[in-house]
Amino acid sequence: MARVKLDDVSKSYEDVVAVNNMNLDLADGEFITLVGPSGCGKSTTLETVAGLTKPTSGTIHIGEKEVTNLPPKDRGIAMVFQNIALFPHMDVYDNISFGLRLRDFPKDEIDERVEEAAEVVELEGMLDRMPDELSGGQRQRVAIARSIVRDPDVFLMDEPLANLDAKLRVNMRTELQRLHKQLETTIIYVTHNQAEAMTMSDRIAVINGGELQQIAPPLTCYNKPSNRFVAGFIGSPSMNFTPATVREGDLQADGYSLSYDTAAVEGLASREAVEIGIRPEDIYLVENESEAAEPSTRVEVVTDVLEPMGDEIFVYLKPVEAGAEDGMGSVEEREGLLMSVDPATDITEDQTVEIVFDRARLHLFDMENGNAISHGVIQGAMMDTGPGEDEAQADD
Amino acid sequence: MSIDAQDHDDAETLDDQDEESKNRVQAWAADWIRNPQKAYAVMGVFMGGVLLATTLFPLYWLFAVAMAPPGQTNIPLIPTEIDLYAFVDIFQQVPFARYMFNSLFYATTVTVVVIIVASLAGYAFGRLNFRGKLPLLFSLLVLSWFPPATLFLPLFRAFNQQVKMLGLFMLPAEIYGTPGAVIAPLSAFTMPLAVFILMTFYAQIPDGLEDAARVEGSTRIGALFRVIMPLSAPGVATAGILTFITVYTEFFFSFLMTGDAASEWAPIVNGVLAFQSRYTVRYDLQAAASLVAIVPVAILVVLAQDKIVSGLTQGALKE
Repeated sequence: MARVKLDDVSKSYEDVVAVNNMNLDLADGEFITLVGPSGCGKSTTLETVAGLTKPTSGTIHIGEKEVTNLPPKDRGIAMVFQNIALFPHMDVYDNISFGLRLRDFPKDEIDERVEEAAEVVELEGMLDRMPDELSGGQRQRVAIARSIVRDPDVFLMDEPLANLDAKLRVNMRTELQRLHKQLETTIIYVTHNQAEAMTMSDRIAVINGGELQQIAPPLTCYNKPSNRFVAGFIGSPSMNFTPATVREGDLQADGYSLSYDTAAVEGLASREAVEIGIRPEDIYLVENESEAAEPSTRVEVVTDVLEPMGDEIFVYLKPVEAGAEDGMGSVEEREGLLMSVDPATDITEDQTVEIVFDRARLHLFDMENGNAISHGVIQGAMMDTGPGEDEAQADD
Repeated sequence: MSIDAQDHDDAETLDDQDEESKNRVQAWAADWIRNPQKAYAVMGVFMGGVLLATTLFPLYWLFAVAMAPPGQTNIPLIPTEIDLYAFVDIFQQVPFARYMFNSLFYATTVTVVVIIVASLAGYAFGRLNFRGKLPLLFSLLVLSWFPPATLFLPLFRAFNQQVKMLGLFMLPAEIYGTPGAVIAPLSAFTMPLAVFILMTFYAQIPDGLEDAARVEGSTRIGALFRVIMPLSAPGVATAGILTFITVYTEFFFSFLMTGDAASEWAPIVNGVLAFQSRYTVRYDLQAAASLVAIVPVAILVVLAQDKIVSGLTQGALKE
């Protein structure tokens, strides 16, 4: 039971900066996920909290205590590792009780606690097995039991599900959520899998290049990404991005224009160009135009490749061949759009279709630094700005 | 079969025999060509036999010498009588048990010291990155190439007299003739190999296991002794045995740094030589003593072999 606070934590290895001025403030009992591409510094951040890595600068508090220079054992933390890291020369009981035995707990209490922890992760009757006699999921459960048995203040999980197969991963995901509800302990969870991040956490911290991009509840990250990186990273398939020039009353993109009240967004009218971002599910075929809250004008495109997923079809769209005349470059230079449609839709490859964008779900980003300019501003009132959501926008 | 030999009994038999033996050799050769593993098996048995004979015969010869009555110089290949009294006598004529204890004490102490210190060094070299790691490792290697004998004279002087070390400090007391005079130099000489062996093994233990141990509540050193060392059992056993045997069989330092009497911490070699006086040499007792001296090492190797095998078959190191 503790809050965790990172103040200006940086970690650099010689000339490589792994973590740059990280500020995180976790409430007691919060489930927070650090997410980002490989090598973005999320694991290093976790290691500084664990005490396995010393930050180059900055301070870390767990509870009221400053722990920046304390060894891991004195921080009241428990950690679950990506490679599970059970001690191969000890049986399940010895693995789970390792930390308790080191702290000289009385034998009765160790027995009791191990039993309790084994029950929580459903490992009863397996205490005398060796790690190599267990399946991947069981090993992971032993690792979790080992971490909960000491009643830590904070749980740190470094991609604990990455080495499990897809089905087990989904099972363990719900088990972890159940566990969090049961234990009500602060959890810091690291993953590069944005689906895990979206489903499990109270808040997501999106990290890129060692810098915090945004920290907000999952849906805020999805609906109101603070910059282009977050917009592209959260959501699968990823958001479509198109550069556009700003004109009065509309945005001139590649081969089409979107009417947009440019005066409504502060500073937009003075810009020359912006990047438009639109998620695949916010593009509609003309016949479904009514589903869009603020349909744009129609745009003619040609379907390219179809990816039927069962519950939806991903349709890759390319501009119609005659696009060159608008002076925006040749067809080849343009990025295709991705649209998702209902599986019942009658659509084939190489078909010319008309689409509309939902302007209420349009995101605009700065061309230079990628910071968000607006999120579906036309809809305005529905997108209320919650407190603290933009607190952690990346610096320029 | 030739025509003129048709009616000739002898000729026919000879011819037949020749043919048959030729066929047998040919069949044998053909069989071996078809199944080369048979040839390898025969060669293996032969080579093994030669090896066993050359290694075991000296031991048998020692036994034969021990069986011969005192003063007999003509040793028969097969002892005329089996009289095991020599094996009792060696403990009665001289305090041979004490000599053995001294050597075992040196070997055990040096092994313990070396395993502990080399573990710390092996951990640092194998698992940490620090400036000057390579030069340090290299100087350790160079150190291990020094012939120990070259260091005898300075050490002898240092242990015998109150010399100012590097002009800075003096050893608290004269340590010549004490176990320290043997244990200190031998620990230093056996250290580099042990460091290299342990470094290689410790480097292979996944970081995650050490991290897990540290998060669970142990220090780095705790993790080394609780997790890394047990998982490197084969390496620790190898380094330990090599050190133990080297020290147990060491002659130069343990002979020269101590007195001749068992009570003066003389090693086992002095015990064997003690059966030699100015006028008589009891070869039978020396042979018996030599055989007894082998026993601890033999037991150790057999036991540790078991350990090494169990360490290797554990197979849980993979991640």
